Amino acid sequence: MAFMSRLNLIFAWLGAALFVATGFMLSWEVVARYFFVSPTIWAAELSQLCLIWGTLLAMPWALEKQRHIVVDAFVLLLPARTRTLIDGLVMLLTAAFCAMVVWKGGEIFWDSYIRGRGSGTMLGLPAWIAELAVPVGFVLLFVQSLIEAARSFGGRDTASGGEQL
Amino acid sequence: MTVILIIGALFSLLLLRMPVAFALGGLGLALLLIGGFSPLMAPQAVLSTLDGFILLAVPLFILMSNILLKGGVGRDLFAAFQAWVGHWPGGLAVATLISCGVFAAISGSSVATAATIGTVAIPEMIARGYERKFVYGLLAAGGTLGILIPPSIPMIVYGFITEESVLSLFLAGIVPGILLLLFFVIYSMIYARYLGGYTPEAPVSWEERVRATLRALPSIAMGLLIIAAIYSGAATPTEAAAVGFAFSLIITGVVLRTLTWRGFIDAAFEAMATTVAILLIIAGAKIFGKAITLYRIPQDISAFIGTTIDTPAVFILVVSVVLLAMGLVFEALSMVIIMTPVLLPSASAMGIDPIWFGVFMVIMVECALITPPVGLNLYVIQAVAKAGLGEVARGVLPFLLLMFATVLLLYLLPDLALFVPFKL
Repeated sequence: MAFMSRLNLIFAWLGAALFVATGFMLSWEVVARYFFVSPTIWAAELSQLCLIWGTLLAMPWALEKQRHIVVDAFVLLLPARTRTLIDGLVMLLTAAFCAMVVWKGGEIFWDSYIRGRGSGTMLGLPAWIAELAVPVGFVLLFVQSLIEAARSFGGRDTASGGEQL
Repeated sequence: MTVILIIGALFSLLLLRMPVAFALGGLGLALLLIGGFSPLMAPQAVLSTLDGFILLAVPLFILMSNILLKGGVGRDLFAAFQAWVGHWPGGLAVATLISCGVFAAISGSSVATAATIGTVAIPEMIARGYERKFVYGLLAAGGTLGILIPPSIPMIVYGFITEESVLSLFLAGIVPGILLLLFFVIYSMIYARYLGGYTPEAPVSWEERVRATLRALPSIAMGLLIIAAIYSGAATPTEAAAVGFAFSLIITGVVLRTLTWRGFIDAAFEAMATTVAILLIIAGAKIFGKAITLYRIPQDISAFIGTTIDTPAVFILVVSVVLLAMGLVFEALSMVIIMTPVLLPSASAMGIDPIWFGVFMVIMVECALITPPVGLNLYVIQAVAKAGLGEVARGVLPFLLLMFATVLLLYLLPDLALFVPFKL
């Protein structure tokens, strides 16, 4: 679990760095287009890759730190023990969802990889570079949701949480 | 029947505190499997969501406002407006509201607006003898301007879901946003003059005004620049967000020298957390949206509404009540994401403009932001001011009524929203 926490944190920082990178790439793109009249062919595409990988890699950290958006008005009315049981079951459901996405997302990746499918864009990167992020991210999320389930069944009660906009 | 079962299942999962993203995605995937549709659609939906160029604007706008927040821009804005209008009746309240409005033009988030301006304005207003209840209500409500005045994250998301132009949505938000700000300002002045214990302040010197204005000028210019760039078509919303990010670094890091390395790192990390939460909900909603479309749920709801509700006025009224009821437990973005695909087909069938409907949805979820028990701006103000939730909630009520008035006005005069994007 400690290992997983550390891994989650590393990937969360990686996600943050990738998002910052998109900011630099896309502002460079605007400068290049307006001041040098030479738009890049890579800025938009690499930024989109950063968004995909950044989001999916940081997802398990957000689960561990309870930064995903939740509706907790109802469960807070329940007794603590009931709430921890519900939390555990919900995490098992989440794990099941992840497992299915890993399996099907893996199929998409593997199919593109075997066939050498291109992304059909200017850089012509292979499609699997983006597609691989789905099984990788969701495998990590699968493991993390099992850890969270174990913690909840073990009696850990979380009062409230969630990212806010 | 299927409709009720699906809605029941979704709401049960959500109320049991399943993260909204996974409740939507998981239920969507389950529906695909049960209905015999290809489950490959689930990972495809995740990929197609995150591959969108439009949604790149989300982390960038959040990064930008976090950097400005760390750079203390809220304090500068507030000081500048205070220097100009501080001696009016309710002058501090007016300065607070205008600061919220201007910060809203450089930030796409209500909570960021409420937190940024609230941190500086609340202690100041309370020290000058404003009633606490009023101060809290003012800040919670003023913060909601963040998502009505462009840029706006819920509008980007609405545009992404409905495939409507984010640019048109942004432009459509400008006039209603300014109108709402004006209502808030007028109310605050009347309140301070006749209801609150108003103590007149002496006007500050011209040197002081010029000094404070110069300090706030780069941030104000940036807000105008972003809107101008998007409006003129020089940049897409995503590019404008990227340029805004670069400018926020230059302003706080080079010009004002208020951004530390530590502050930048914190801003980036916090932006990551918010972005991940938002984008995953959209991805989950995309899976869910695919599934319910295959089950023909929006069509069924639309047909049902078509046979029971015959005028747009009644439709808007019913939708308002439903959104307000949801707002009691849901937060703003989840509401936009869940309800838009369900409601928009009916709205279109009634001849309601989708851009107008987007602005209407945003104002209604703003109400959700400040209605207890679940109102994010309430929480923020509560945390910033260390106040009781009840006190904040009572203070918000007059502002909530002003928001309803704005919705009514918007219904009677749709051009308030539609003039700028389509007729100017």
